[in-house]
Amino acid sequence: MRKMSKLRLGVCLTVVALLYFGAWYAEKSMGANLGQAGFMLVGAYVYAVFTIPLKKHAAVYQYYNGGIIQFELPLIVALLLAGIVAALLAALIGLPVLRLKSDYLAIATLGFAEIIRAVVQWDSLGPITNGSNLLKTYPTFNNTKIFGTTVLFPFIVSGVCIALILLIINSTYGRAFKAIRDDEVAAEAMGVNLFHHKELSFVISCFFAGIGGALLAMFQGTVQANSFKSAMTYDVLLMVVIGGMGSVSGSVIASFLYIACSEWWLRFLDNPLTIGSFNVPLLRSGFRMVVFSAVIMVVVLFFRRGIMGDKELWNIGMRRQKAGRRARK
Amino acid sequence: MFDRILPYLLAGVSVGGQYALIAVGYTMVYGILRLINFAHGDIFTAAGFFMVYLVASLPMQLAIPVVIILTVALGFILERVAYKPLRTAPRMSVMISAIGASYLMQNLMWYVTGGLAKQYPVLPWLSNIVQIGSASTKIVTIVTPILTVGLVIALVALIKHTKIGMAMRAVSHDFETSQLMGIRINNVISMTFIIGSALAAVGSMLYFTNFSTVTPTVGAMPGLKAFVAAVFGGIGSIPGAVIGAFLIGICESLIKAAGYTAFSDAFTFALLIVVLLFKPTGLFGEKAAEKV
Amino acid sequence: MSESVLRLENITMQFGGVVAINDLTMHIDQGEIVALIGPNGAGKTTAFNCVTGVYEPTNGAVYFHDKLIAAGHPQGKMKRMYAGTNADKFVGMKVSLTPDRITHMGIARTFQNIRLFKSQTAFENVLIATHLRRTSNIFTAAFHLNYKEEKRNRDRAMELLGIVGLADVAEEKATSLPYGMQRRLEIARALATQPTLLLLDEPAAGMNPQETIDLGLFIQRIKEKFGLTVFVIEHHMDLVMGISDRIYVVEFGKLIAEGTPHEIQNNQAVIDAYLGGNDE
Repeated sequence: MRKMSKLRLGVCLTVVALLYFGAWYAEKSMGANLGQAGFMLVGAYVYAVFTIPLKKHAAVYQYYNGGIIQFELPLIVALLLAGIVAALLAALIGLPVLRLKSDYLAIATLGFAEIIRAVVQWDSLGPITNGSNLLKTYPTFNNTKIFGTTVLFPFIVSGVCIALILLIINSTYGRAFKAIRDDEVAAEAMGVNLFHHKELSFVISCFFAGIGGALLAMFQGTVQANSFKSAMTYDVLLMVVIGGMGSVSGSVIASFLYIACSEWWLRFLDNPLTIGSFNVPLLRSGFRMVVFSAVIMVVVLFFRRGIMGDKELWNIGMRRQKAGRRARK
Repeated sequence: MFDRILPYLLAGVSVGGQYALIAVGYTMVYGILRLINFAHGDIFTAAGFFMVYLVASLPMQLAIPVVIILTVALGFILERVAYKPLRTAPRMSVMISAIGASYLMQNLMWYVTGGLAKQYPVLPWLSNIVQIGSASTKIVTIVTPILTVGLVIALVALIKHTKIGMAMRAVSHDFETSQLMGIRINNVISMTFIIGSALAAVGSMLYFTNFSTVTPTVGAMPGLKAFVAAVFGGIGSIPGAVIGAFLIGICESLIKAAGYTAFSDAFTFALLIVVLLFKPTGLFGEKAAEKV
Repeated sequence: MSESVLRLENITMQFGGVVAINDLTMHIDQGEIVALIGPNGAGKTTAFNCVTGVYEPTNGAVYFHDKLIAAGHPQGKMKRMYAGTNADKFVGMKVSLTPDRITHMGIARTFQNIRLFKSQTAFENVLIATHLRRTSNIFTAAFHLNYKEEKRNRDRAMELLGIVGLADVAEEKATSLPYGMQRRLEIARALATQPTLLLLDEPAAGMNPQETIDLGLFIQRIKEKFGLTVFVIEHHMDLVMGISDRIYVVEFGKLIAEGTPHEIQNNQAVIDAYLGGNDE
């Protein structure tokens, strides 16, 4: 049981970390993207639809004569495709929407997520998406082995993604994204094409959201469009801030704490507890989430800059070194 | 043809009125704090639960004002606890705080109710059935738009003609300058939350008379719709929010009439996006010019 | 005329009923330092914004090296409200390039109210301005296949910081620098876009007399070094008279005088504008 929960933890962690990056990344250059859940949904569906084994189609698509997709893709290809489809969709949606400003942009992305959710459940798309029914029997974390163990796969995928994101952040494009975030007018005056860069960052962040969605599908074992509500986006945003709004390592730490807290350390709060003859008050189902959300509020209110602020774990020592070197010169 | 559409039209106007009452809360807070108050939908839900629990021990005539008072108190506390400490923080932090507050309230409600749906009490008179033309409907359907428009007119009058109203306009125009001019910002902000919550409480009574089960997350969708309505009308503008809300209510209802119930939510958002593409700051929103 | 670097033709900029610039015609030739002066609110910065693509002129045209970069004529509601002149001259002409395109063509600017990238260091501020001349795309940049270019850009950013005398504070946060340094950092950032025309919006604002003199020398030095043409808005008359080849004076959006510093100093209209005329 304990071991199960640790695996669960690791898996959650990777999914969450990925999404986190997507959100952080978009936040850096285009303002809040409240449509994360929609792009995760796309990723999850693309992955699931293309990896359900052919011989299971009849059972899964029982209301749609086995569906119309009569092939399956290798896991890695489907995973990539999940990201790519989400990214393409983002590119399409971004064309009109990214011309909007801040809050209007946020609500428009949220709106698109809701539209995506409705369209996927549309009965006419049933032969592909299985309508509002579950998709299942595709490969999950529990049966995807690397080096004979199921634990490694999520970590490897998220490790690769994190590395990619770090590379982009530290490139000339990453700097341009940050510049837009700091001051749009100045960035434009310095020759940064606002629309082009916003579109780019939107597409990148949705690519990772798509992969995150696919991983979430692998983790859950079943997907259904109805569970990808805006609350999922809010979760991710909460982690963005708790980790510190400009820090990759902060994000990893935050997503770890977030999952550990909600799924693991606070579990005991849900069960009635009796010490001797004393019945500890308040403890019953649901109390865990109350405490958890109260903890979040405390963090948001009293640690405004998040855990790491805008520093990276590996930079804390480095800056000091640099300063020292200059002093010696 | 008209006979067939009439009940839907009535329902649309009624739902629109309920959205309008919630939307005003969103739009006022946004006008002053530039904050999307994500917890507003939960205040609406909380008002529903207050009624459920109060009716068990109080007579209806007493319960209604007490519900409004409790909801207002909740809105006031929310502002003091979750938003006031972040006055100088970046907007993103405040938004996160709003999401966190919404979370906390939902979880708290879940904890208190044990996650079970509660039956909303039947409000006498409002639930009576009346006959309009060929359609029969609850009285609440008729009362809602009238009450909404009345309340909004009163609110606009308050904002136009009273001292606190003038202060509100000043604060929404320029936060810092009005502070320098001696306006007590915190009072003004509290007042917006009080008004917004009171309207949400009234809205919840009307809403739950039609949809009679209350669950901790029931406020999410109407909250979101109301917010969309506020954006639709140009966030920050009260008449805009009201008109947006009625439009959305009616459109949604007509879509249902056409047999696309599954798409009614999606349609609302599609409509919003289309409007934003042509009017990027909503129907009545002000165009913000940035000084370079 | 054809050797003009920048040419403004009958530029009028009207916001609602307010006419910020009225029929401004001017030109700046290769290698000149030209100043635009005038009382506060005369429309100087608005003129800059018309040139750099922040605003689209209500009426008139802007040419950069004889290429049309901005043009407009009263349309729609503005047709009725238009309070300027030459409304028919530019009918059919409408060009509005985004600011980044104009920067790309070789016009760089600084801002009156300093607009540095707050969360970043002085070095990064300059480095971002090298982004527009990139040859990399998102993939080559992400996988650092553009390392040669990246190295060149970094060296160049550092060199520019050296030229403006900020090499020591390269790793400091831009906004933590003293005011004068922030102004010089803005100039370094503008230079990093490799402009041929540099627009300086009140570069000496908030500087003491000594700093102002240094700034004047500095502007002349970078002009020579990078072969620039400079267009400057300034209130410090010592600086303006010291460095400018020609001066344009605007008041209430209208051009009231044009000439060499000597001519401007003895121009009655200018003296009236600055000292208050004998209206009463």
